[in-house]
Amino acid sequence: MIPYSRDPAKTIPPTSVKIIGLGGAGANMLERIALDGMEGTELLALNTDIRNLGACIAGEKIQLGANLTKGLGAGGDPQLGNKAVLEAENEIRAALKDHKIVFVCTGLGGGTGSGAAPIVTRIAREEGAFVVVFATTPFAFEGDRRRDQAEAALNELAVLSNALVTFDNNRMGELVLAKQGIHEAFGATDQMISESIKSVIRLVVRPGLINIGLDELMTALKTNRSRCLFGSGMAEGADRASKALRSALASPLLDEGSLLKDTQSVLVHLCGGEDLTLFEVELLMQQLSKHVPEKAQVLFGAAIDPALGNSLSVTLISALPEEALAKAPRKAISQADDDSPLVKKTASQTKSEPKANPKPEPALQAEAPRKEPVSEAPSLFEQEKPFAEPESHGDSAEEKNVSPLPEKRPEGAAPWSQKNDPAKELTPLPPEGEKQALNSKPTAAELLARFGEEENESEDEPTAETNPPEPMTSSLPMAKSEPISGSATQPEDKPAAIISPFKAEPLDPKPDKDDAAIPKLKLGVKPAASGSGSDELSLDSSPRGRFEGEDPNVVDGEDLDLPPFLRKKK
Amino acid sequence: MARRSKIHVGLEIGTSKVCMVVGEVKADSAVKILGIGETKSAGVRKGEIYDYSQARACLKDALAKAEDASDVEIGSVFLAVTGSHIQGINNRGTYRLPEGEKVVAPEHIEEARTIAREVQIPQDHVYLHPIIRNYWLDGLEHPTSPTGLFGKTVEADFHIVHGIGSRLQNSIKLVREMPLEVDDIVFSPIATARMALERDQREGGALVIDIGAGTTDYALYLNGVITASGCIPVGGDHITNDIHLVTDLPFSKAERIKIQEGDASGDPGRSVGTARLTDDRGYAEVEVSRATLNEIIRQRLEETLQLVRKRLPQGSVEAIGSGIYLTGGTSLMRGFSELAYDVFKRDIYRPEMPEISGVRSSFKEPRYATSIGLIRYAQILDSESSSPPGVLGKIGGMFWPFKR
Repeated sequence: MIPYSRDPAKTIPPTSVKIIGLGGAGANMLERIALDGMEGTELLALNTDIRNLGACIAGEKIQLGANLTKGLGAGGDPQLGNKAVLEAENEIRAALKDHKIVFVCTGLGGGTGSGAAPIVTRIAREEGAFVVVFATTPFAFEGDRRRDQAEAALNELAVLSNALVTFDNNRMGELVLAKQGIHEAFGATDQMISESIKSVIRLVVRPGLINIGLDELMTALKTNRSRCLFGSGMAEGADRASKALRSALASPLLDEGSLLKDTQSVLVHLCGGEDLTLFEVELLMQQLSKHVPEKAQVLFGAAIDPALGNSLSVTLISALPEEALAKAPRKAISQADDDSPLVKKTASQTKSEPKANPKPEPALQAEAPRKEPVSEAPSLFEQEKPFAEPESHGDSAEEKNVSPLPEKRPEGAAPWSQKNDPAKELTPLPPEGEKQALNSKPTAAELLARFGEEENESEDEPTAETNPPEPMTSSLPMAKSEPISGSATQPEDKPAAIISPFKAEPLDPKPDKDDAAIPKLKLGVKPAASGSGSDELSLDSSPRGRFEGEDPNVVDGEDLDLPPFLRKKK
Repeated sequence: MARRSKIHVGLEIGTSKVCMVVGEVKADSAVKILGIGETKSAGVRKGEIYDYSQARACLKDALAKAEDASDVEIGSVFLAVTGSHIQGINNRGTYRLPEGEKVVAPEHIEEARTIAREVQIPQDHVYLHPIIRNYWLDGLEHPTSPTGLFGKTVEADFHIVHGIGSRLQNSIKLVREMPLEVDDIVFSPIATARMALERDQREGGALVIDIGAGTTDYALYLNGVITASGCIPVGGDHITNDIHLVTDLPFSKAERIKIQEGDASGDPGRSVGTARLTDDRGYAEVEVSRATLNEIIRQRLEETLQLVRKRLPQGSVEAIGSGIYLTGGTSLMRGFSELAYDVFKRDIYRPEMPEISGVRSSFKEPRYATSIGLIRYAQILDSESSSPPGVLGKIGGMFWPFKR
């Protein structure tokens, strides 16, 4: 192997990541992030309320609307929040300069959050950053008005941000016990958001053997109106691959992996020490494929981090459309419930599907004309430029601010406007159907094959080939765009093979799985978990924990030392 | 000796702890706890000692602590034993009076008792308690000995507790090595019931379930007499082990999450979200879905209670009038009462410590139920030997129980 040192410019230094907490809720999230200790990243708090801002622990603070609100809050009025942020636009712009990734954390529904978030997002985009918005939506009991405000802001954010992850406050109850205090509930949400942000940063910042870029991330997150599914695990020693996967799947956001059954695409990022073997990777992916539907697109990335020593970490990121999560129709935010029967079948899918794909598309289209091979900027990801492009249109639309600017998008941005619509109304289904057709859903097998290919490549031509496929370089846009894996529209070699006409198929299994997922949680996952652990180690059929090696404690033909939880399931 | 206070010591070598309670029985038969010596036990599993050297060390430590706390030099103890090998069975001995004798004489009753006690038990088993339940004279029930009455047939109903001799002997040997004398060995649930149940509760019909770390012991009283007793080798340790096996948490964390977050009620409202353990900085270190955690716990405890239920004689659960008394450390599990109600459909109580005074309020904890029950047992045994048998004869009805 020829030693090859990675061009540092192709990786993103953590210092070019900025996390913005907007409004009161944003400040809380920021606090949690700061507590979790994300070294290198910069935290910026924006608020109209000076008292709240003063209490925030962020490194940078910008008061919004100093003249307008005089240090008070926006009083739940998005218009006010909107004007307030425009007052501080220059300061924000300066603060965001030269940042490659910007996370905007906010709670929608109030004045500052709903009013300012779209503007802040726009400014960040104009400054050339990749913007991921984490937004919480208000409780149902907060009333329709706040919900509408949040809804309007969400629609705008869906258009403006590169990726939008929403956390429904109504679901916060799922994170904590019903009896637990409200602060714990909010704390849990904040922690979840902080963990997601951390993993995203880790993933994007660390260059990989098989790289995962923001494009894959977007595909996995399906950009908006989805709940982020996230899990990560780390393990070492023998069998570390399956152990790590198991603990990743144990994440509450994944519901023991059962929620993955409904996803369309999953991003898997593997990071290991220098002794990471291909066999382990294969083993892990094989096990994961049991939790992921066959048709799902698996975006795989691997990286070597010597700092990990002999441990192995796995990060799973995926997204489920809100509707898929709602077992019983929940009001609040997910609108699919009110949708016409027309939509019935496709609704859950299409809503999120098109969002994932359009992204790469405009990216590619925009790329050719753009051509700005300035040395640092391009070191970023391709998306940056393509998104800057639609941005210019977006701006004009944005200037009229709060109006939900759907139609304004010309050619490259077309899918965006479509996406925007379903968010509000879910009407333009036909175009989405087409989108769906475009959307390639490689089966797990195909993916494995593909993954194998890539692995081979990496062994044959160790350097140049493996790195550039990732979107980190910009000098040859076309060549690069090809490996933007499954979602790419370029009908070149591998992707072409993957673009098989699945179209309708992924839709059908969905509704069934929705129901099946809950019982499966108990049935499927558990025995697998215990079984896999024992496969190699114990000779006994099932492990017995601390009663290992004792006489079986048999009563009525049942060994009492085994958990009834496992026994009764058979 | 009847009119002065006496000190009794109860010793329980449990799966989770070795516990020695020093109690003073006053002349007015009030009990005062002088001190408790408690050590986390090692070498004990499912109520039975498997590593004698470790258990010996624990016992020494508990003895030292108890002597220290109570300022009493301990010479002899009442020892509670348990384990799945110990069983309680009922047997009735019938003796027909010889021709020409109309009046029941004490030797006739003795004969009936002997017959009743000749129950078929496995070779290696020994009698632990032959407890007289009641007498029958010509088909009529007599709670007390029918000596002096006219009749033809005398019957004696016994509840016989027996267990594997070698294991019981080893427990005694361990205690004697301390060196301590063993006043008596008592099957744990019988000692617990002494503490947990008042006389009228026994009359009304009551079930005591002592669910500890390694075993679940039960004793059923109907019409004031013991009807069934036994031990199921399942306890709180099993829950921890289940959590470990299902979720792959290490034992220590499984134990903590069980204690801090577990709930057995099966109430879906309590199975929402995620149970977390936080480290000392407040960060979550372990997370388990509550639905899974609670389901593991509930299924284990439900199965255990069902096993108890199955072992009780037919129709006896319906005859329980006073209710079911839950004690033992695992009974502290949240929602356990609800679960027990779901299984038995009887009133569920936590026993109150009766008329016991002492320096520590923690005596009220169900963890000490058995050890304190031993003091009560000793007290009753004492009062029987000093007062003429009769009124209390039925309740106590103890004989020198341990035969080799």
